[in-house]
Amino acid sequence: MFQLTRLIIKNLRRNVLRTVLTALGTMVLVLAVTSVWSVLDFIDNQTADKANDFKILISDKNNAQGRLPRSYMESMRRGAARGSDDVVPDDYMTWAFYGGTLDPTKSSRENFLFLIACEPEKAPTMLDDLDQLGTADTARLNAAIEKMRKQPNGIIMGHEQLKLMNKEVGGRITVNGLTFKGLNLEFEIVDTFPKSAQRYGQTSIMNIEYLFQGIDEYDAKNKTKLASGVAPIAFEMLKVKNRQDYERLAAQIVNSPLYTSPAVRCESGGSAVSTFLASWKDIFWGMRWLLSPAILVTLSLVIANAISISVRERHQEIAVLKVLGFRPGQVMFLILGEAMLIGMVSGLISAGFTILFVNKFVGGIPIPIAWFDRFFIPQVALLWGLGIGGVTAFLGSILPAWSARGVRVADVFAKVT
Amino acid sequence: MAEAEAIVRVNGVHKYFTRGSERVDVLQGLSLSVPNGEFLALMGPSGSGKTTLLNLIAGLDTPSSGEVWIGSDLISKMSESQLATWRTRNVGFIFQFYHLLAVLTAYENVELPLLLLSMSAAERKQRVLTALDLVGLSDRLHHRPGQLSGGQQQRVGIARAIVTDPTLIVADEPTGDLDAKSADDILHLMGELQRELQKTIIMVTHDPKAAERAGRTLHLEKGKLVHEERRSKATAS
Repeated sequence: MFQLTRLIIKNLRRNVLRTVLTALGTMVLVLAVTSVWSVLDFIDNQTADKANDFKILISDKNNAQGRLPRSYMESMRRGAARGSDDVVPDDYMTWAFYGGTLDPTKSSRENFLFLIACEPEKAPTMLDDLDQLGTADTARLNAAIEKMRKQPNGIIMGHEQLKLMNKEVGGRITVNGLTFKGLNLEFEIVDTFPKSAQRYGQTSIMNIEYLFQGIDEYDAKNKTKLASGVAPIAFEMLKVKNRQDYERLAAQIVNSPLYTSPAVRCESGGSAVSTFLASWKDIFWGMRWLLSPAILVTLSLVIANAISISVRERHQEIAVLKVLGFRPGQVMFLILGEAMLIGMVSGLISAGFTILFVNKFVGGIPIPIAWFDRFFIPQVALLWGLGIGGVTAFLGSILPAWSARGVRVADVFAKVT
Repeated sequence: MAEAEAIVRVNGVHKYFTRGSERVDVLQGLSLSVPNGEFLALMGPSGSGKTTLLNLIAGLDTPSSGEVWIGSDLISKMSESQLATWRTRNVGFIFQFYHLLAVLTAYENVELPLLLLSMSAAERKQRVLTALDLVGLSDRLHHRPGQLSGGQQQRVGIARAIVTDPTLIVADEPTGDLDAKSADDILHLMGELQRELQKTIIMVTHDPKAAERAGRTLHLEKGKLVHEERRSKATAS
């Protein structure tokens, strides 16, 4: 086997240009499919519910863009529990979205800031992945949250957002409200999210009590209620231990007489993300079932073309191998081996390069879908590259290899012209 | 000296091909016997069936009817896979156009048939070096075919043919692509192999001078043996 593998490697040197071009073609297509799969994998992870630590999102039942009044907040944090038999959530977080611009005369990206208004102390347990930070980053995040607690107008900003806006930690900014039109708020940047929390590079959080205070002050000052401030809460997020508790808690809330105007609905975290992403459904479907297969078929055809030419050129040499005693299966192994070696090595190199290039150099694939903004290539892409390269090479070379298997030994005496 | 036992026995072999609805009889009831250690030349015009006969004797093809025995093996009844294994151990091939693998060195080309046999790397190396030494190419081990002359490439081809120590060596126009001097050297080398290693050699050739090196020449026409020439050991080789 080792000797045959050595022969395969030597055969790849036969036409270095063709081998290199085939490898480059494979690398480009593996890069494309790896990028597409990374986005789909990320979306799949977001829409899949965890087995434990179920998150429930409670929002307006009849209006996807609707918001909830502040009066719902206190009882919802307890899951609308009334009796001792009722389920009480393990944790909660109230979400509102405050977006605005630093310069109302210039609506450019570096002037726009979007903040998640929440209880800052809930961020480490309720925002995905922040409970996975290392010790040093966790300590830094906790210190930043403590600053926010003492300083209500403090915000934690994603480091990419900070760079984009050309600001520094400790800087002060005034945001002219767009999601709460007319509500302008002043903030101080107390810190950034740790860089290891890559997905929060463009996310910023503010204290929800500071938003409520701003709304109240607006109402008092203007002697009229801020229209968007009547129902400022986007959704309440609760956490329970398992699906059984989730179902009981959902029933508790939906059936509660406290929430009738507006009525509310409960969704699991994954389901809520799916609902939110519904408008991108066709794009994802196309990426999964049209784009990815098209790239894979193209890749197989590239390899099939190269291997077919190689087999045709080496018809007589293959006959010589068979004359010398190579069995049809061994001839097939040689041809398949050449293709799969090119495919797997190119796929692996391409995936490795993609991870380095996209994650380290470019800083993610910039596809602003929902609040995700950019996507990163997971480490498992190394296996994808290996697998894609290997499988497409196998499929692409199976017919040429089969035809090589069938070369007649007597063809060795065919005269060379 | 008593005549050697026949190593090749071809009994009443027919071989035909169909071209559309037409049947083309290439060999018609041909029989022959080749004693162990003989250097036999097959001559005849194009289409006489000499290469087809060589293919049948070398286990590259099977007859439409009749039997081909090599030693105690009835190869005309073997499957393709059995023939492949049998060829590795029993037949060495020398081709007109050498048919060396361009990406392999002389050493690796000679080593190729040994990769299919079960033997240690040390034994394989020993055999390859011995074969290349026998053909006088010990100083060209790491040269690729493109770096060798036609005569040297054919020597590598001969080393590849003998490295498995086969019972039988078949050669198809081994000097057809060589100049006169190189052709003479190759025929001399084949004669030495036959005499000193007692190899049975069957050679197809159009060249009467090449055939003169053989101990016996069989002439074929239209799939039948039509003439036989025997030479004394003094004139042969």
